[in-house]
Amino acid sequence: MTDRALSDVRVVDISQGIAGPYATKLLADSGALVTKVEPPGGDYSRRLGPFPGDMPDPEKSGLYLHLNTSKRSVTLDVSVTSGQVVLKKMLANADVFVCGEKASTLQAWGLSYEDLKDDFPDLIVAQVSPFGATGPYADYDGNSLTAMAMSTIMYNTGNPDREPLVTGGEPGAYIAGVQLWIGILAALENRAANGGGDHVDLSMAEAAAAADEYNSAMYAFQGAIRRRFYSRHIFGYPNDIMACADGHVVVIPGANGFPSPLTPDSVSPMALLMEDIELDQTPFFKSMGERMIGWREFEASMQPYLSTHTALEIVMTAQALRLPFAFVPTPSDLLSDEHLAERAFFEKVETKAGPLTIPGQPFKMSETPLHASPAPDRGSANVAVLVDELGYEKGDLTILSDRGVL
Amino acid sequence: MNNGKLPLDGVRIIDLAQVFAGPACTRILADLGADVVRFEAAGRMDVTRNLIITENDGLDHHWHRASYFVIRNASKREMVLDLNKEEAREIMRKLIAGADVVVESFTPRVMANFGLGYDALKALKPDIIMCSLSGYGQDGSMRDYGAYGMGLEAASGISSITGYEDGPPMRSGLSFTDPYSGFVGAGAVLTALHYKRRTGKGQYIDLSEQEAAIPIMGAALLEYQMTGRVTERRGDRSEWAAPQGCYRCAGDDRWAVISCSDDGEFARMAGAMGHAEWLDDARFATVLARHDHHDELDAVITEWTSQRDHYVVMHALQKAGVKAAAVLDGKEILFDPQFKARGHFDIVDQPLLGKRPVQRHLAAKFGRFEAKARRPAPLLGQHNEEVLKEIGYTDTEIAKLKEDAIIADAPTLPVPAQFVSAALKLPYDRYLEHGILQAVEADYREQLGIAE
Repeated sequence: MTDRALSDVRVVDISQGIAGPYATKLLADSGALVTKVEPPGGDYSRRLGPFPGDMPDPEKSGLYLHLNTSKRSVTLDVSVTSGQVVLKKMLANADVFVCGEKASTLQAWGLSYEDLKDDFPDLIVAQVSPFGATGPYADYDGNSLTAMAMSTIMYNTGNPDREPLVTGGEPGAYIAGVQLWIGILAALENRAANGGGDHVDLSMAEAAAAADEYNSAMYAFQGAIRRRFYSRHIFGYPNDIMACADGHVVVIPGANGFPSPLTPDSVSPMALLMEDIELDQTPFFKSMGERMIGWREFEASMQPYLSTHTALEIVMTAQALRLPFAFVPTPSDLLSDEHLAERAFFEKVETKAGPLTIPGQPFKMSETPLHASPAPDRGSANVAVLVDELGYEKGDLTILSDRGVL
Repeated sequence: MNNGKLPLDGVRIIDLAQVFAGPACTRILADLGADVVRFEAAGRMDVTRNLIITENDGLDHHWHRASYFVIRNASKREMVLDLNKEEAREIMRKLIAGADVVVESFTPRVMANFGLGYDALKALKPDIIMCSLSGYGQDGSMRDYGAYGMGLEAASGISSITGYEDGPPMRSGLSFTDPYSGFVGAGAVLTALHYKRRTGKGQYIDLSEQEAAIPIMGAALLEYQMTGRVTERRGDRSEWAAPQGCYRCAGDDRWAVISCSDDGEFARMAGAMGHAEWLDDARFATVLARHDHHDELDAVITEWTSQRDHYVVMHALQKAGVKAAAVLDGKEILFDPQFKARGHFDIVDQPLLGKRPVQRHLAAKFGRFEAKARRPAPLLGQHNEEVLKEIGYTDTEIAKLKEDAIIADAPTLPVPAQFVSAALKLPYDRYLEHGILQAVEADYREQLGIAE
């Protein structure tokens, strides 16, 4: 067996959904032994889909298959004593215990850090919850949407005359997953350097707020409060998505796109792109503030060019002029994207839902490349873990199963 | 419990990253205890030293007052070194020989042009970990594409599933994939440090911001493969909950989100709103009915929310067991009791700016140690001498390096500083008129309790 970056790390994970499972996917794809502990009915993401042909099947949920690669699965009802006893035997062999429950729920189950630390002094208890394990909102419920709402990102996304808009794809949950993963790795480093297990307490709302760019800073440093203004960037218009002949592009002039007072005699790259050097003389080309405020007229001045060129023509020409324009791909565009194919980004896995292309690894490592093996069927490691590792009799499995614990 | 020790004490990081993603990555590692030394060039400052300048009178050194820079770069030290010169590269090679990690965010060819590609680094320090953050990665046909954060969220596909129903694709109002890919970079470096601790081996990390964010598209990518459908834009709604949305509250542009996953949560919401009769209304009684009559449901919910403050809506619903949250703006988050209680903002005493709340990029809280802003962001070239002395340079040698402009502590500007400062000033008065800003409050420091 090849040595992987985290081959020496053992994780027991009772979290469900996106945030916790994404954190443990990153650990598992790096070589950690992750035992996913699902309720007897399965991780609730198994019910969320998408499903092949829209036919729900817990072994064929696209979301589940994406988020649980390289793990093994045990079923166990950890909300009852019989399940908690089995879980604690598993924790005796674990470095990290990952959970996605609020503090009060974990306390009720006797599985909070305080409950575990004396019996398992070297265990890292990594807990992701909507608002964190402490503070006045510790008991509040939430999801990716509540995290994005609290983060200030949502208030600043959308049209000024409409409701704030949440970013697509449940980013609040993924950001929390990545932050939990960092927290686990930091606690492992601390244990190696300074000794001892720890409680990693991750609030989804704080994780999303950690990805805020300027909103709180503009107030803390200038007293200014932003609000959403289409999907524009505070640093000026465009830097936004615009329609073109066959779809959309992101129009980003960058630092050198418009006329510069430092080079008064040269034609600006934006004017060259739009094939109209007179544009350099307009107030919109001369001043960012004018563009931001007079955006309707400015947009009209760009329309003749944008509406007659394809996204490919526009982005290729812009990039040749050193303007950092970008494409706006759909999921199907990404799956057939040449650049991503050249980098061998996507991974193929064989699953009960057939062969699937799943998102590849978020970074490439030269010595210890990450790799995804297919997500496990529900409870497929019950015998391996309970009988082979923990020493239960096979008959015990039947007893636990008929009481709904396994 | 850690006796003040941090997990990355003793880890030395050379930070050649600029702008946002890379600095967010190294800010996390610095807060975890690593000694991060960042680098700029006098003729090419980090562009964020030009952004969101604090209380600038137009004459002062704006590069020391840039809030954006301060947040990304707290807890670090800094040198200004002109890597176009061989003497500077000699200094860099000495520093790398004593370092554990090099983080950089240039376009792919730049490090090799400096003679500082991974192979060269490995020759200097066999177990070095090098992490390159870029827009589109180190190879492939788009590797040399210019890449700004505002384009990469779209390039990862996320904008195609963001937007109002029947409206065009939209970006988030800020470039969240920038810090997000920085977070991913921090985890990647920690993974490599773990492996190095166990095996003594370093390695090279190639992080593409576009790729780092694509896993967020997981469900959409699989929906296309499994059903042939391209995921539609649907505003704030979800297949997973109904009602789910963002609802108008009392006050000017105040909102709250509400999300009910199942019948039980919907019943609790109806009860909290004093409308138990909704449970008997055929339009709302079941999950499928609520999805089918979502507009009507939103209308009756808004009747209730629009009479109440957004925080009142949040607390009333949460106390009844319903997922809800106030939609916070950039001021409110600084005063929110939960963010305050848990310490999301550290008060940093920044030279020339005074005390300021500086947000964290690592949200995880630990029992044994606190990963927070440990020191203010560095002034330009603030630690030139300190770092050079650590690798054996004498005062005379340092004076000579300064004379030869190998090191510097001021930028080389093509025009006077006042001119640059004036050009960088955003027209906030006009932004206010047009609704780009909600308010500018002159007494904000008093309100924040950080006035001198």
